[in-house]
Amino acid sequence: MATTAVQVGKGSGVLKSKSSSDDRVMRLFILVIGGYLVIALALPLYAMFSKSVFNSDGSFVGLSNYFSYFQTPALVYSIKNSLFVGIITTLITVTIAFILAYGFTRSRMRGKPLFKTIAMIPILVPSLLPGIALIYLFGRQGVINWALFGNEIYGPIGIIISEVFFTLPHALIIIITGLSIADARLYEAATALRASRIRIFFTVTLPGVRYGLISAAFVVFTLAVTDFGAPKVIGGDFNVLATDIYKQVIGQQNFEMGAVVSVVLLIPAALAFFVDRLVQKKQVALLSARAVALEPKPDRRFDNIMLTYAIIVSIFILGILGMCQFAALFKFFPYNLSLGLTNYQFDLMDGGGWNSYFNSIEMASYTAIFGTIIVFYGAYLVEKGKGFGVIRGAVQFLAMLPMAVPGMVLGLAYIFFFNAPSNPLNVLYHTMAILVISTITHFYTVSHLTATTALKQMDAQFESVAASLKQPFYRTFLRVTVPVCTPAILDISIYLFVNAMTTVSAVVFLYSPHTTLASVAVLNMDDAGDIAPAAAMGMMIFYTAAGVKVLHYLLSRGIESRTQAWRISVAN
Amino acid sequence: MGDVFLRIENLTKKFGNFTALRDISLEVFEGEFVCFLGPSGCGKTTLLRAIAGLDIQTQGGITQAGRDISVLPPSERDFGIVFQSYALFPNLTVEKNVAYGLESRRARRDETSSRVNELLTLVDLVDQRVKYPSQLSGGQQQRVALARALATSPGLLLLDEPLSALDAKVRTHLRQEIKQLQKRLAVTTIMVTHDQEEALTMADRIVVMNHGVIEQIGTPEEIYAAPASEFVAEFIGTMNFINAAVSGASECAHQGGALQISDNSIESNRAVRLAIRPEDVRLLSVSGSDQPNQTSGQVISVEYLGAFIRVTIQPAGWQEPLLVDASTDLANELEISAGGTVNLSLPAEKILIYQEDS
Ligand SMILES: Nc1ncnc2c1ncn2[C@@H]1O[C@H](COP(=O)(O)OP(=O)(O)OP(=O)(O)O)[C@@H](O)[C@H]1O
Ligand SMILES: [Mg+2]
Repeated sequence: MATTAVQVGKGSGVLKSKSSSDDRVMRLFILVIGGYLVIALALPLYAMFSKSVFNSDGSFVGLSNYFSYFQTPALVYSIKNSLFVGIITTLITVTIAFILAYGFTRSRMRGKPLFKTIAMIPILVPSLLPGIALIYLFGRQGVINWALFGNEIYGPIGIIISEVFFTLPHALIIIITGLSIADARLYEAATALRASRIRIFFTVTLPGVRYGLISAAFVVFTLAVTDFGAPKVIGGDFNVLATDIYKQVIGQQNFEMGAVVSVVLLIPAALAFFVDRLVQKKQVALLSARAVALEPKPDRRFDNIMLTYAIIVSIFILGILGMCQFAALFKFFPYNLSLGLTNYQFDLMDGGGWNSYFNSIEMASYTAIFGTIIVFYGAYLVEKGKGFGVIRGAVQFLAMLPMAVPGMVLGLAYIFFFNAPSNPLNVLYHTMAILVISTITHFYTVSHLTATTALKQMDAQFESVAASLKQPFYRTFLRVTVPVCTPAILDISIYLFVNAMTTVSAVVFLYSPHTTLASVAVLNMDDAGDIAPAAAMGMMIFYTAAGVKVLHYLLSRGIESRTQAWRISVAN
Repeated sequence: MGDVFLRIENLTKKFGNFTALRDISLEVFEGEFVCFLGPSGCGKTTLLRAIAGLDIQTQGGITQAGRDISVLPPSERDFGIVFQSYALFPNLTVEKNVAYGLESRRARRDETSSRVNELLTLVDLVDQRVKYPSQLSGGQQQRVALARALATSPGLLLLDEPLSALDAKVRTHLRQEIKQLQKRLAVTTIMVTHDQEEALTMADRIVVMNHGVIEQIGTPEEIYAAPASEFVAEFIGTMNFINAAVSGASECAHQGGALQISDNSIESNRAVRLAIRPEDVRLLSVSGSDQPNQTSGQVISVEYLGAFIRVTIQPAGWQEPLLVDASTDLANELEISAGGTVNLSLPAEKILIYQEDS
């Protein structure tokens, strides 16, 4: 026996480990997950790219679709409009969010948890909703339309206000994180040198949060440029790229041109995505430098200024929400102010009626359940699998890709891929399944990153120990990995549920008469002029998402207290 | 010594272009306690992981208990392992951690629980059985990890710096405990450490490594008394070095004069490095006695280290000062103090000779 070992050793080739049955099972599973991502993401995107170089008869035309696109002034104008909306929204949102985040992290203002919660509300509503509120507030019969000094709310003003509302929480989360990693020792040093508050701000705070600001700016820009809901509701004649795709496809049935606009829309989104990834890495480097957490000192005047500011922002957010709820409850705002539930008789309107609401809940539940399983297990295999490096790398890449793909683009890509007569998967077309698949894919990246972060925090040797004890990997996965990662798993499922409730962009191309969704119903009712019912449905989405959030909070608290005995060690 | 239990032959490990282990060959005997010792980055952990199959070698063979395990995955090898981080499952209690490797083996429940009891008794943690790892001290966690690794009665126990996360006092205590446990169970054990004191006190044999190669294999006594290379001489314990050249039969010349050595086989003019341990240098009460290699020097500093003192002496004309250990009694008798002069001798048979480029 010993001699065989020598022979193996003397061979000039590189040794390869014999794979265990665990390794083989894990490889099989990673192929399954990889296969899922190829079908749900890579192939549809490929179908879309290729569609953009064919004409409607199906013959190859090279770049001629692109030429005709760039020769149509109305379409090219949308690029300018989209960039304009993106840039202005970015400037406004990042400024508002920065000051708010500064108040949350550097002042001792009262009511921080309350104001933080309010600031997160826009995540729980479809991006169509602020537009609807703005119509009631500033539209032709708007309650306070004098405040626009004769300007029209339909168009860039309305879009930008809506986008600011919609993007605020995203920017806020990033900037709060950026400000929280500040090192208290730097502030103590600066204070000891008797630097003024202003001086400290410019020499310590701003440089420290610069990566957070850049990252927030890119996220906001991408969201604003690719959003479909706000320009659809309140854009009027002001065309942007996202609405162009919709008009080309739904209005004119010009799929090839839709594909071209999609490719154009992919560019800023993909660019922003890569810059953001770059910056995130730098921020992580800052974070690992073991800072001492900063404890702000009370300062009556400053705390009150920050409090006032937080109240103003909260009024903006609650005002938008409240306006929608009022409009929904009054018979015919602002003319008939008697209360009633007529606007909730969705079955009398276009858009799918109450069914669409229940469809949405069903869709969101499936998305949360299957999405969490696929995403978490996929992240686990990428993180803990052995060998198969190229495939694991490819899955990791595919998992990061959806972040760079706007929902409209994904939805259109799905039409091209899943509706092709030659594709056996076209049985999925117009089913609940395709809505679930597209939504999981659309929100894959953030979920994947959440899972990866949680997995990375676990001791890397758990799997080695389990192997030495001859335990199959799935046992350790179920008995250790999943329990330890439960908070992250809950976060992922809630994230998927809420986004599935509110999303419009991808699913607007994919629903069928049997699978109408609440968010799409908001869009269609608004389109048909039933604005109050649209507001009512939008608020139903809000209450559902908020309810689920509260449930999640209670559940997390329960789990926290039950696992408190051992969680301490995970933290350190 | 028993039979060879683990045989490593011509093992090489590369990470890309970097060779972490170069042509390592090694035998470990049944029931033996072997330490891999070496500076940080020398490849100890890499070698241990190759033995476990966690990171397979680029080339070379490994045989355990007569079975060629060179390319087997960890799950098909026979070992228990304790990592520096312990890798205890945080959500399982002490007893569940220890039982982790036992449960699925279709063992009956009462068998499992009596085995767990036995192991917890062994590491003296019976009263901690329902606690979670985070509720234990570092030393206790370490013992849980040990019990978990031993639960399945593996043929080979692998320990990667198991004590380095503990404070000094616990560490000394646990050294004894692990060593006794290992003797009692007679389990073949390999421990990785960069702490020479740990290796010297615990190991039956030490494998000294540097830059991916083995410098020396031997018992602690052999390694200490007869370091096979300059690296080992320098790495283990404290050593005085003197640059010199062979000037005749059994004689060397250096900056401070000539020294007798015990080796007469080295050709003349060859550059050598002479080495002597501080405790092998003798302090003399009178000069001119018949001791060889005598010189005198000025005491630069005196350091009290409990039972003995360490004196730094600059012999007249020498390139570098010598460190000399002496008992406190002798030091008092000779009235040694900084600034004074003292006579000393370097016994020829205690001088180690290392030839340059060999
Ligand atoms: N996965 C890897 N990829 C590339 N290089 C590696 C890898 N693992 C180890 N090395 C390199 O191999 C060398 C030996 O590493 P190893 O971890 O075995 O050192 P060690 O002797 O255990 O050191 P320490 O006492 O610091 O733990 C080091 O130079 C290390 O940088
Ligand atoms: Mg190591």
